[in-house]
Amino acid sequence: MVIDSTGEIDVAFTSTCSQCYILKITFDRKFSKNSTMNSMPIERDIAEQSTSRVRREDVKRAHDRQHVQSHRAGGRWWMLLWLLIGPGILVMLGENDGPSMISYATTGASYGIGFFLPFIVLTFAMAFVVQEMTVRLGAVTKRGHAELIAERFGPFWGFFSMGDLIVGNLLTLVTEFIAVRAGLGFFGVPPALAVLGAFLLIVAIVATKRYWTWERIVLGFAVFNLLFVPVAILAHPVSGDVVRSFFTWSPIAGGVTVGFILLIMSNIGATVTPWMLFFQQSAVVDKGLTPADIRHGRIDTALGALLAAVAAIATVLATTPLFIHHVDASNFQGADFAKAIVPYVGSVGATLFALGLFEAGIVAAITISLSSAYAFGEVTGRPHSMNSSFRDGWPFYAVLLTAAGIAAVLVLIPNAPLVFITIIVNVIATLAMPPAIVFLLLLVNDREIMGEQANRGWSNFFGIAVTVFLVLAGILFGIATVFPHLFPN
Amino acid sequence: MKTKETAESLPIVSKMPATTWVHDVLDPDQLSGAKRRFGRCKLGKGTLILFWGLRIYVVLMIFLVALSIWNTLHSGK
Repeated sequence: MVIDSTGEIDVAFTSTCSQCYILKITFDRKFSKNSTMNSMPIERDIAEQSTSRVRREDVKRAHDRQHVQSHRAGGRWWMLLWLLIGPGILVMLGENDGPSMISYATTGASYGIGFFLPFIVLTFAMAFVVQEMTVRLGAVTKRGHAELIAERFGPFWGFFSMGDLIVGNLLTLVTEFIAVRAGLGFFGVPPALAVLGAFLLIVAIVATKRYWTWERIVLGFAVFNLLFVPVAILAHPVSGDVVRSFFTWSPIAGGVTVGFILLIMSNIGATVTPWMLFFQQSAVVDKGLTPADIRHGRIDTALGALLAAVAAIATVLATTPLFIHHVDASNFQGADFAKAIVPYVGSVGATLFALGLFEAGIVAAITISLSSAYAFGEVTGRPHSMNSSFRDGWPFYAVLLTAAGIAAVLVLIPNAPLVFITIIVNVIATLAMPPAIVFLLLLVNDREIMGEQANRGWSNFFGIAVTVFLVLAGILFGIATVFPHLFPN
Repeated sequence: MKTKETAESLPIVSKMPATTWVHDVLDPDQLSGAKRRFGRCKLGKGTLILFWGLRIYVVLMIFLVALSIWNTLHSGK
């Protein structure tokens, strides 16, 4: 108990629950200071701002922030970078999920070295422009994307955003567990064991109840997205062709056809998916980033985009031998690629490819299920942090594990319509993107909440241009999928 | 809120807990239980039109997704 110079006393007590209360008690100064506690009636003024509930998640977050502040004060930039990277790398490498890696493999097998190498770099540059906005939003407002939408635009849009995200994420999670099953299936692991093992891994990582620990473990897994790089090296691509393609954006095998344009549209439309916006902003908040950390948040996002682009390009190069040798890969599923490239990259290369596929699925499964839990907690006003205790955050953890669990079960059901789900996921992801990205632009231009970090000038121009491009491409792809007869083959 | 109490009715006070430092380390809005409310955004005419466009888009989107599901189911996949 401390009496300060104004006569106020800070009195603190810890209840038996996980919350700690701090009360400010103001003594009535007409009583002499020799009066004892027992004889003094006390006017207690409990102002709302003075009563602050400190949850366990706040204590853990404060511990993390102490490290950041200490290293910032000490000028140790390398430690600061180590502490502050995370959300950006995870979201970008998480976007290199199972279906994406299979898509890149299909691209390499269908088009070889050419247009798509620089195109991949362009898509990740666009992803950086969009994701950087979520860093600023989270660091300045200290709120997740769903929470901000609900607060600024009303509960209808908040619940709509949460609802369509959770539905879309659930279907996407199915495709991630398919990738896990395919990757481990290459090694003869039975599907049930592969999927159950992946689910238990998610449970184990979540059970750390510590954002920092969770983040570092998942980062450790995510780095294995770069397993496709040695596979690409083993494929012995002609380096001159690779370099030339970045300058000339060619060749385009088969020429510019409607199918080629639709492929471009689908790739652009899938550059940024709704879960990426929600995940990174919420992770930035959970990690405790502040405006002082925005620069490092940008570095984190740029680094993630670079690593993801390298892994994606490597995947294209890894399957280019299939194009060169005219192998028809149009109906290949995940593990088929690993088997098909054995003659060209050897069994070691094929093994690495299969492991990369498993990694792509498991990291995406972890980050996507977490984005659903974040959105749920933010819109319903419940604790939503990887630092939460089970007692405080059980709805948050329940949503996370239920989403992953349902997807895992669906993958194992015999004759489950998995191809149907894979097709629908693409449609939903591209069509659900416009509302999410429009809200992102509105929020990041909202000077009332963003202050000097609001978009302006050239950043707004690029932000709006990229957004319009992504939205139009996504809608066009969605329409083409639903009304294929409108587009000649 | 003001309450007038005697010392006997005060809760038992323990020593200053370690968690008060949390307030010094975290920004005010970083405390999970004590965030300020931003309130609803004041929407201009252009934004209101955009929102109506979004509402129409959502209806169309739901229709397109339902149609996609229908087409896919009937194509035998």
